[in-house]
Amino acid sequence: MRHALSIARRELKSYFISPIAYIAVTVFAFVSGFFFSTMLVAYVQQASLADQQLQKIGRSDFQLDVPTAVLGEFFRNEAFILLLVLPLLTMGLITDERRKGTLELLLTSPVRSAELVAGKFLGALGLVAVMLLPTLPFYYFLAQGGDWEPGLVVSGYLGMLLLGAAGVAIGLGISSLCENPLISAFGTYGILFTFYFIGTSAPLARTIWVDFINFLSFDYHYGNFARGVLAVRDVVYFATFVTLGLFLTQRSIESIRYKRS
Amino acid sequence: MISVSQLTKRYGRHTAVDNLTFDVGKGEVLGFLGPNGAGKTTTMRMLTGYLPPSKGRIKVDGFDLYERPIDCKRRIGYLPENPPLYPDMTVRKFLEFVAEIKDVPARGRADAVQRAIARTRLEEVAGKRIAKLSKGYRQRVGLAQAIVHDPPVLILDEPTSSLDPKQRVEVRDLIAGLRGSHTVILSTHILSEVSTIADRVFILNRGKVMAVDSPANLGLRLRARELVKVEIAARTPEDGAEALSRDTGGEAKASPCIEQVKAALAQVPGALRVDVERQESGTVHAQVESAVGHDIRAEVADLVIARGWRLLSLGGESLSLEEIFLKLTDEGEPRA
Repeated sequence: MRHALSIARRELKSYFISPIAYIAVTVFAFVSGFFFSTMLVAYVQQASLADQQLQKIGRSDFQLDVPTAVLGEFFRNEAFILLLVLPLLTMGLITDERRKGTLELLLTSPVRSAELVAGKFLGALGLVAVMLLPTLPFYYFLAQGGDWEPGLVVSGYLGMLLLGAAGVAIGLGISSLCENPLISAFGTYGILFTFYFIGTSAPLARTIWVDFINFLSFDYHYGNFARGVLAVRDVVYFATFVTLGLFLTQRSIESIRYKRS
Repeated sequence: MISVSQLTKRYGRHTAVDNLTFDVGKGEVLGFLGPNGAGKTTTMRMLTGYLPPSKGRIKVDGFDLYERPIDCKRRIGYLPENPPLYPDMTVRKFLEFVAEIKDVPARGRADAVQRAIARTRLEEVAGKRIAKLSKGYRQRVGLAQAIVHDPPVLILDEPTSSLDPKQRVEVRDLIAGLRGSHTVILSTHILSEVSTIADRVFILNRGKVMAVDSPANLGLRLRARELVKVEIAARTPEDGAEALSRDTGGEAKASPCIEQVKAALAQVPGALRVDVERQESGTVHAQVESAVGHDIRAEVADLVIARGWRLLSLGGESLSLEEIFLKLTDEGEPRA
């Protein structure tokens, strides 16, 4: 039964009826644009410095690898902003249904709880996709200037979508555990940042731990996408979060029914 | 249509619903009555498949709720105590969404929604956002979502709450119109409603069924007595004033006038007890008790007229559902 799609559609529409979606999309586009232009300016400065060096010495120390320099950094910053915005989008997913009483409506309808979870997930993921759209024109500008690798762009966006999916699934799961959207937002921030920043301890750790830390870190796996590396291992990493998040949500919803209300 | 067997719900040591067993026939309207905490809402939540029972089986239209939940839920329309609404949606869009998730086929959806809007008189606000509606309208939207997919079974938890008297009548008529074609279980605190629309009444208290019967029969079974109330006018203004001063004169004896009435009424065959009182206006009020089933209204009327007294009003009184309710829930003992 494709109730999941009905629910996803309703969720997406609901995001756009309230100011939430517009604010999220605007903020994301604005901040992304800012980062993008900063990167570009920094690159141009480096490029001219490198030119000068080339003229003087005959060789240059600078790496003039446009794709990695500009795009890689850009994608990594994007990911961080995404993680900042996500919990605010997911905090109400289940908690609002409970407060409005509509969870009861959905669960007394011929809708399986798995469909409900899938629908919510797809709706929120749809919003993430919409948020990413306004950033696409940036590459057009880059393309005007010279080399840019479409492959890197594709891989970067794929990584962002996967990261978004993982974040939404986690946010959805936390939202199903909390009765208050704020607590749900905090919880989601907690988990997302833990996995994001865990990578910073990697250089400080002893060799046996380094691999493990990298294995867990958002930054590490996402970083591969940002560099244009498409690896199954990284896809599986994010997919695992999605699976766990959705599974947790479904179980949690089932247990909500047992509560005295 | 609905068959419930040994339905129980326990929360830790507290038993919210205790071993309910009952059947509801097709087209029947069943009223659930009971004080707060009696287990009405809990029972309804179990019937609609939201709350898993601790024990017992529920069957809807032959389908077991545990084994075939989807089939059952398709056949049930549910209005919880607080109507489940999405405030950011318009009435029409919301009903369309509900029709979608209740498996109304795409082709018939718009019609189904229109029908539900018409039946609940929501035409004027169909395009408005639910957040902007008054409580009364929201309640009606709640009712609309319960009937939009035309389910054979309707479970309504306090369907007339938040409605003004006119709207209440409309809803009552709506439910009465569903009788026969739909099976309805409704719960309410407003006893008069149940007595007019319900075929049978379940009185619940502390998770147990206290009584089950038609409203009329319940009244009959629980009546302790029949009561006839009579009003007799004072003969003339002077008469009344004289009688009044005699009655209230600080003497220990009752006035002749009241005594007369009392003595006369006591003579009526079947009268077990007579109480007489004079009102300030001079009118005499009398209450005559008789045994259950023994209607002595005619005899009382005959007597009043034969004595030449002026009969103002005469009426019988049976135990109201309210009194039955209080009686049963006070005693705390189940009476099938």
